[in-house]
Amino acid sequence: MKPPADARSGGGEPLLRVEGLSKTFHDRRLFSRAGGAGVRAVDSVSFSLAAGETLGVVGETGSGKSTLGRLVLRLVEPSAGRIRFNGEDITALSQRQLRRMRQQVQMIFQDPYGSLDPRMSVGAIVAEPMIVHGLWHGGRDDRVLEVMRQVGLQAEHRNRYPHEFSGGQRQRIGIARAMALQPKLLVLDEPVSALDVSIQAQIINLLRELQQQADLGFLFIAHDLAVVRHVSNRVAVMYLGEIVEIGPRDALYSSPMHPYTVSLLSAVPVPTVDRERGRDRVVLHGEIGSATNLPSGCRFHPRCYKARLKAENPDVETVESQGERLPAACVLHQPRPVDAGDGHVAICHFPERGGDRSEVAVRAVESSRGAG
Amino acid sequence: MSDGAVLAVRDLSTVFPSEAGPVTTVDGVSFSLGAGETLAVVGESGSGKTMTFLSVLRLVPPPGRVTGGEVLLEGADIAALPASEMRWIRGAGIAMVFQDPLTALNPVFTIGDQMLEVIRAHTAMSPRQARALALEVLERVHIPAPAKRIDDYPHQLSGGMRQRVLIAMAIALRPKVLIADEPTTALDVTVQAQILELLAELRSELGMGMVLITHDLGLVARYADRVAVMYAGRVVETSPIAQGFGRSRHPYTRSLFRSIPRLDLPADQPLTVIAGQPPDLARLPAGCAFEPRCFLGNGREDCRSERPALLPTTSDRHLSACPHWRALIDAEAGA
Amino acid sequence: MSAELAPETTAEAVPRGRAVRRALGRYLRHPGLSLGLFVLVLLSFVAIAAPWLAPHGPTEADLMNTLAHPSGDYVLGTDQYGRDILSRLIWGARISLEVALAVVALSLTFGSLIGAIAGYAGGWLERTMMMGNDILLAFPGFLLALALVAARGSSLENVILAVSIAYTPRVAAVMRSVVITIRPRPFIEASRAIGMSSSRVLLRHVLPNALPPVIVVTTVSAATAILAEAGLSFLGLGVQPPTATWGNIISDGQGFITSNPLISLSAGLCIAITVIALNLLGDGLRDTLDPQMRRYTGERML
Repeated sequence: MKPPADARSGGGEPLLRVEGLSKTFHDRRLFSRAGGAGVRAVDSVSFSLAAGETLGVVGETGSGKSTLGRLVLRLVEPSAGRIRFNGEDITALSQRQLRRMRQQVQMIFQDPYGSLDPRMSVGAIVAEPMIVHGLWHGGRDDRVLEVMRQVGLQAEHRNRYPHEFSGGQRQRIGIARAMALQPKLLVLDEPVSALDVSIQAQIINLLRELQQQADLGFLFIAHDLAVVRHVSNRVAVMYLGEIVEIGPRDALYSSPMHPYTVSLLSAVPVPTVDRERGRDRVVLHGEIGSATNLPSGCRFHPRCYKARLKAENPDVETVESQGERLPAACVLHQPRPVDAGDGHVAICHFPERGGDRSEVAVRAVESSRGAG
Repeated sequence: MSDGAVLAVRDLSTVFPSEAGPVTTVDGVSFSLGAGETLAVVGESGSGKTMTFLSVLRLVPPPGRVTGGEVLLEGADIAALPASEMRWIRGAGIAMVFQDPLTALNPVFTIGDQMLEVIRAHTAMSPRQARALALEVLERVHIPAPAKRIDDYPHQLSGGMRQRVLIAMAIALRPKVLIADEPTTALDVTVQAQILELLAELRSELGMGMVLITHDLGLVARYADRVAVMYAGRVVETSPIAQGFGRSRHPYTRSLFRSIPRLDLPADQPLTVIAGQPPDLARLPAGCAFEPRCFLGNGREDCRSERPALLPTTSDRHLSACPHWRALIDAEAGA
Repeated sequence: MSAELAPETTAEAVPRGRAVRRALGRYLRHPGLSLGLFVLVLLSFVAIAAPWLAPHGPTEADLMNTLAHPSGDYVLGTDQYGRDILSRLIWGARISLEVALAVVALSLTFGSLIGAIAGYAGGWLERTMMMGNDILLAFPGFLLALALVAARGSSLENVILAVSIAYTPRVAAVMRSVVITIRPRPFIEASRAIGMSSSRVLLRHVLPNALPPVIVVTTVSAATAILAEAGLSFLGLGVQPPTATWGNIISDGQGFITSNPLISLSAGLCIAITVIALNLLGDGLRDTLDPQMRRYTGERML
C-alpha cells in the first residue's frame, strides 16, 4: 500500500472526513425515556481518510467500532457531528439524496454466511447493486462476470447459491457485490475474522489488490491487531466509544502512547516460542466497562496500569476511587489530546512517551518491533 | 510414548453418514497426554479437532458414530464403558470447557444452581457441602466476592466472568484432564490473556493434563508443551513446543505460519497464501489430503496415490505425516 | 491474479438438469408430502372432471328411489330426495376446493402484506397494525365468519369472504413474527448498504425469505377453511341448498344417521381426508421448502 497520504496538507479535501461524530442509543421502552442518558456507542470521533489509504480501527467488543462504520454509511443515523465525503457534507442528506453517495461507499461484512441472501444466485447477488442504482441496461452481464473474475470467482459460479460455497468464497461474493458499483471507499467490518486462518491471507491479498487497482480508501475495522497492522497505513484505537489513540501505523505499534494500546499490544501472543515465553504481560484489571455507565474522568482509568503506577509517585495528587488510590486527574478530569507529531495523537493524562515511558510499555512492545 | 500418560488415545475414528457416503471426521487419531502437560491441538474448522475430543467423551452428535479406537484414562479403557459410568467420567475424569460461555450456561438458573447440579450429580455431597465446594472453586478461578456472585444469573456476568464460571464448574470435581475448546475465541484479547493465565495456573496447581484446542499459533507458543496439528481429520504433525515449534516438518504447518500476519515480523512482510479451499471431507483425494494445496507436492506421484502415515522425523518425538519433510529442512538451510 | 488464488468450490459442478431432478426427488422422497400431494391432485382432478365423472347430476332427483341403499346404479345410495350421493360428493369437492383456494389466495396476499409491513416498519405503525390484528385474532374465527355471513347473507362469495377475513389475521401474525426474525439478519443490512430502498428490500429480500413458514401456515388454514365452509353449510348459513357441498350433504343426512349413515359419513370422510392431506402437505412443505432448514438438516445428517 502506498505511504500514508497526508490528509492535513492543503491539497484539497480528503476522501472522508468525520468530525465530532456521535451516536447515542436511547432506550425505546415506553416508561424509561425521561431519565436514561442512553448508550454512548460513539462519542465525538474525528478522523480523515485519503483515497488509496487504509485507516485501521481496532477495539474490543463494545468499543463502538462497528457502530462507527455504520455511521459513515449512514446505516445508523448520527446523533451529532459531520460526515464529509469528497468534500460534500452527507450528514443531512435525505435517504433519496444518499443513494448517489451509496454508489461510492460500500461495505464488506464480517459474516459471509449471513450477509448474502440465501435465495439468490451469485449472479443475481452481484448484479443487484447495479439494478438498484439504475445502471443495469441489458448486456451488463459482462460487468457481472468481470467483477466476479476480479475477485477470483469463476463464470460458472454465477448460477450457484451461497450455501454451496465455503466461507472464503462467500466473502469473495460479498466483495464482488461491493465492487460492482466501482466505489471510492470501502468500510470493512471484520472482513476476515470469521474465516479460517489459511483463507484469511487470500482475502487480505485480494483486498490489497483491489485497493491498488482503484485507489480505494479503506476503513478497516477489526479486533485483530496483527491483521490491522498488516493492512493499515494509519490506525485508530477505540475504547468505550472514543478514539483514544490514532497515528501512523509504525509509530503507533512501535511507540504506543496510550496505556490501553500498550495493554492491547502486550496481550497479543506471538507465534515465536522464545519471544513469547520471555514476555511480560500487562494484565488489565477487569473488562471493558459499559457505555451506559461511563466512568468519570478518563474512561480507561478503572483498568489502567499506568494510573496505578503514577499513583505510587508521591508527587502525584491522588483520590480514592473504588477502594483504590488513583491519580486525581485520571479519576476527575477528561484527558486532552497529546500530539507526538506526524498525526500521532493520544488522549491521556500520563501518555507513554519520552522520559515518562514506563518499563512495562517498553517490554510490551518489544515483540511488535518486528524481527530484523 | 510414555506409559505414565493420563490420557492416551489410539486410532480413534469417527464417521458420519451423509448423502455423499460416509464422512470420516476423525481418522485414526492417536495422541497421549501426561499429567501437568498441555497439549495444543491446532487446526481449521472441519479439521476434526473438536470432534476428536467429543469422540473421546462419547458426545458425538448423532448420526455420527465412533467407529474404532482406544481411549485410556489413567490406563483404563473408557471407550467401552456403559453410558452410566461414562457420565461419571465426564466431569470427574475428563472435563470440557467450550468456546461460547454464554450458550454453555442455562439462562434461567443461577450459576450456583448450575454448579451444584454438576457437583451433586457426581458426588454424595449434601447441598451445604456442595455449595461450600462451589464457593471454593469460584474463589479459585478468581471471581471477586464469590459469595455474592454465586446467586447471579449468567446474564449478570461479563463474558470473561462467565468463562471463569464454566472453568470453575469444570475443575470442581478435580478432573484428571481438562479440555479447553477455543476457550477464548469469543472473548476480547485483554480478557483472553486473563483466562489463559488462569488455565495455566490451575493446570499446575491441580496437576491436570490439559488440552488446548485453538487456531491461534500465538497461544500455542505461550501455553503449550506439545502441539498436534490436524488437517482433514488426521494428525499431520506433532512435536514438543520447545524443539519443534517454528521448525515444522510438515508443509501445512509451514504454510500456516507464513499465511498469518504476525506482530513479531516486519509489518510489510507479504503473506503467503495457501492455495485453494479447506478440504471437503466427503471428497478427499486418495493420497495426502493436503496435496492439492501443498507447495512441496507439485504432483509427486506418491503424494497422490498414498495416504502418508505419521512417522518420526529428526527426533522420535517430532512426528510428521509428510514423507518429504527433509525437503523443508533443505529449504531452511538454503534460506 | 495468481494461479494460486484460483478457487475451487466445495461442491463439484452439478449439471442444472440433475440439480432440478435432485430437488424434485427431495420433495417426492418425503412420504407425508407426497401422500398429501397425491390425494390433493386426485381431488382436484375429480373436482375439475365432475361433469364427466359423476354418474348423475348433483341435483337430479329420482323420486322413485329416495333413501336408497348402495346399488349398482347408486354406488353410495341416495338421499331423501333421491339424489345420488356419489355424484353430490364429486360436485361438492368443487365447492370445497374452490373455497380452500380462494381463502388461501386472499388471506395469503393480505395477511402477508399486512404482517410484512408491520414487521419491517416497526415502531408505532407496527404497534397500531398489530393491535387491530390482535383484536381480530382474539375473536374465534368461526364466530367471526358466522357473524359476517349472518350480516351479508349466505352465498359462496360471502362464505369465502368471511372465512378469509377470519384467517387473514392469523397469516399476518405469523408473517410479522417471521419478518421480525429476518429483519436483523446481516443480508438485510447488506442490502441497505448497497443503497436499496426499504420497499425494495421488503419485496426482494424479506418477503421471499419469510414466505416458506407462512405458506405452511396457509396450507393448514386451507384445511380449516374447508372445515369452516362445511360447518357454515351444515348450519344452513353457507352455500344454500340444493347446491351440493360436503357440509350440505352432512346436513341432509343428519336426520337419517341411524337408517342411512352412509350419507353423512361419506361426506364427513371426504372432509377428513382432504383436511389430513392438507396437513400432511403443510408438514411436508415445512420440512423441505426452506433452503436454510435443508442445509441444517443436511448438516445434521452429515
